[in-house]
Amino acid sequence: MSRVIRQIAILTLKDLRIEARGRQTLGLVAVLGVLIIAVLGLGLNRQVGGVDATAILWVAYLFAGVLSFEKTMAVEREDAALAGLLMAPVDRGVLYVAKLLSNLALMAALAAVITPVAILFFGFDLSAAPLGFAAVMAISMVGFAAVGTLFAAATASTRLQGGLLAMLVFPISLPLVIASTQLLVSMFRDGEPLGGLALGVLVAFDAVFLVVSWLVFECVLEP
Amino acid sequence: MPKPGNLATVAYWLVALAALGAAAAMLAFYTPTEQTMGPIQKIFYLHMPAAVNTLLCGAVVFVASLGFLWRRNLWWDDLASAAATVAVLLGLIVLATGMIWAHQAWGVWWTWSPRLTFTLILWLLYVVYVLVRPAIESRDRRALVCAVYGLVAFLDVPLVYLSARLIPQDIHPASIGLDGSMKLTLAVWFVPVTLIACGLVAARYRRNRRERIDEASRAGQGGAGMGG
Amino acid sequence: MPPATHPEIVVQALDLSKQIDGRAVLQEVSLEVLAGRFVVVIGANGAGKSTLLKILATLMRPNSGELRLFGRPVRGDGSPLRARIGLISHQSMLYRELSACENLVFFGRLYGVRNPRERALELLEMVGLADRADDAVKTFSRGMTQRAAIARALVHEPDLLLADEPFAGLDVPSVDRLQVILARLQASGKTIILSHHDVDQSLRMGQQAIVLRQGRVVVDRCTRKLDSATVLREMVTA
Repeated sequence: MSRVIRQIAILTLKDLRIEARGRQTLGLVAVLGVLIIAVLGLGLNRQVGGVDATAILWVAYLFAGVLSFEKTMAVEREDAALAGLLMAPVDRGVLYVAKLLSNLALMAALAAVITPVAILFFGFDLSAAPLGFAAVMAISMVGFAAVGTLFAAATASTRLQGGLLAMLVFPISLPLVIASTQLLVSMFRDGEPLGGLALGVLVAFDAVFLVVSWLVFECVLEP
Repeated sequence: MPKPGNLATVAYWLVALAALGAAAAMLAFYTPTEQTMGPIQKIFYLHMPAAVNTLLCGAVVFVASLGFLWRRNLWWDDLASAAATVAVLLGLIVLATGMIWAHQAWGVWWTWSPRLTFTLILWLLYVVYVLVRPAIESRDRRALVCAVYGLVAFLDVPLVYLSARLIPQDIHPASIGLDGSMKLTLAVWFVPVTLIACGLVAARYRRNRRERIDEASRAGQGGAGMGG
Repeated sequence: MPPATHPEIVVQALDLSKQIDGRAVLQEVSLEVLAGRFVVVIGANGAGKSTLLKILATLMRPNSGELRLFGRPVRGDGSPLRARIGLISHQSMLYRELSACENLVFFGRLYGVRNPRERALELLEMVGLADRADDAVKTFSRGMTQRAAIARALVHEPDLLLADEPFAGLDVPSVDRLQVILARLQASGKTIILSHHDVDQSLRMGQQAIVLRQGRVVVDRCTRKLDSATVLREMVTA
């Protein structure tokens, strides 16, 4: 067990170190996120209420998120580094968890940039339930990254026609969008506490797809 | 000279179309018109069986995807692809009939009601399946990606259903009670719709398989690739 | 006929077949490699060399046939056997952004090597990259990258080294340097199976030559008994 944790740590730290060196992915993805928010803000051209803000955040997260999943997988594809990993005595499930954690770290960094910008642009007031907001977004991100990591690996070796990963991941993630939006609406507009069917959907999504992706990941890796 | 296989196929389709004719006749002459909605309500008898069959097709995609991941035999992929294509077709019928119903009942062509939302997302899930296929050149890779997607998409369906129910309703659809003759009509309508759905999946499967085998033999290497 | 001293049979393949996208890439390939031998796999482009090496490395599974490595059958995952195999290809399998040393330490840790940093420096010394240990791999020339790749493949002290076209894209001095390293490895008892497109060089380097044509083994003989003309002819004759 400790060997597994150690390997996950080694793999994830490797990804984060590469990211810190190159500084490509986070910068690109964060700027994309901010641009999306700016476009939506300008396009909507009106005072955006709290409810709309979640939609705006989701659009930014979805597109920027998919881009980051593609890039963390592309690192392995360059120079066939993945083959090197597959030759090592590492369980394929461990590779999944490590890549998932790297993606989550990127998503968290992305959220740290985008959310304040959105709050700034749209005056979204989080004071009613700041922790609840963070919890809802965090749970949603985990589900999104769970599926995104799996499909990023599956499509990594194909001659990528643009948007392939987005096409695969978006419809699957719609329950996350719906449930998190409804949950935030009920929390902020109606003052309800965190809970209910919406939260159940989010947690169920995470549980199901974390397990399934972990099990299936081995099948999609190609030397 | 017609082969026995072809004769069986023709017979099957004659039966299916006859059943459709009989069901339509039943609808025209036997089934009472519903009071509040008028004749358009009768579209429900097509809508419901089509919706159930769309889900069944999704289940076939799921099972075929599992089969491929387990066995890596390409005819599982042929089956999954066939079922997904039919799911898209049926899903479109469900969407269209659902929208006609909505327009008749509530005066709008679209609303984010749980049923319409669920139908739309379900349809989109399988549209993606069908559209993704030509985007991947390698046949083995395509089968693999689609199998993983087919697996995940079907597991997503209950979550889509639950989340669609979370959407608040501006328009509250009155649930329409069905009397005995209506329930009978509904049951009867399941027959031709299911027969047609199965027939389409089978026909599409055979076509997929034939195309794959032709392509393999044209490549000159002989055999049917990974089995078939 | 087994030799009197019974050296270990490192690789034993029986009727390996592989189809990719419907095309038969390998057809009933059988071969046997004894410990300490230097085997060269020769063939035209598309003959199946890469696929064969990937299957021997347990990265790919054959559609049919049996493979035994170090006397044990490769089944399912093949994981425990991989600890004794090292793989290099024309791609480096290294992370560009990291330094040579960081790459080796990373792989060393994954393999559970004791003192990975020491081992990394030792290997870099061996391949002549000690002075560039802390430079990012993306700053290396192709020859240097390949040498770093060999270091990576050796970090866990494998007994069998598989090399898929390692000389591709290298200039003559780099090829020479690589050959010296490989010869030294063989002298130290490692088994090497290497694929190469240059027939002359292959026959000079290796002890056993396996020629593939359209996925089939057409020649499997000691290099002493072969000449380039014969091999070239076997590579292309339909």
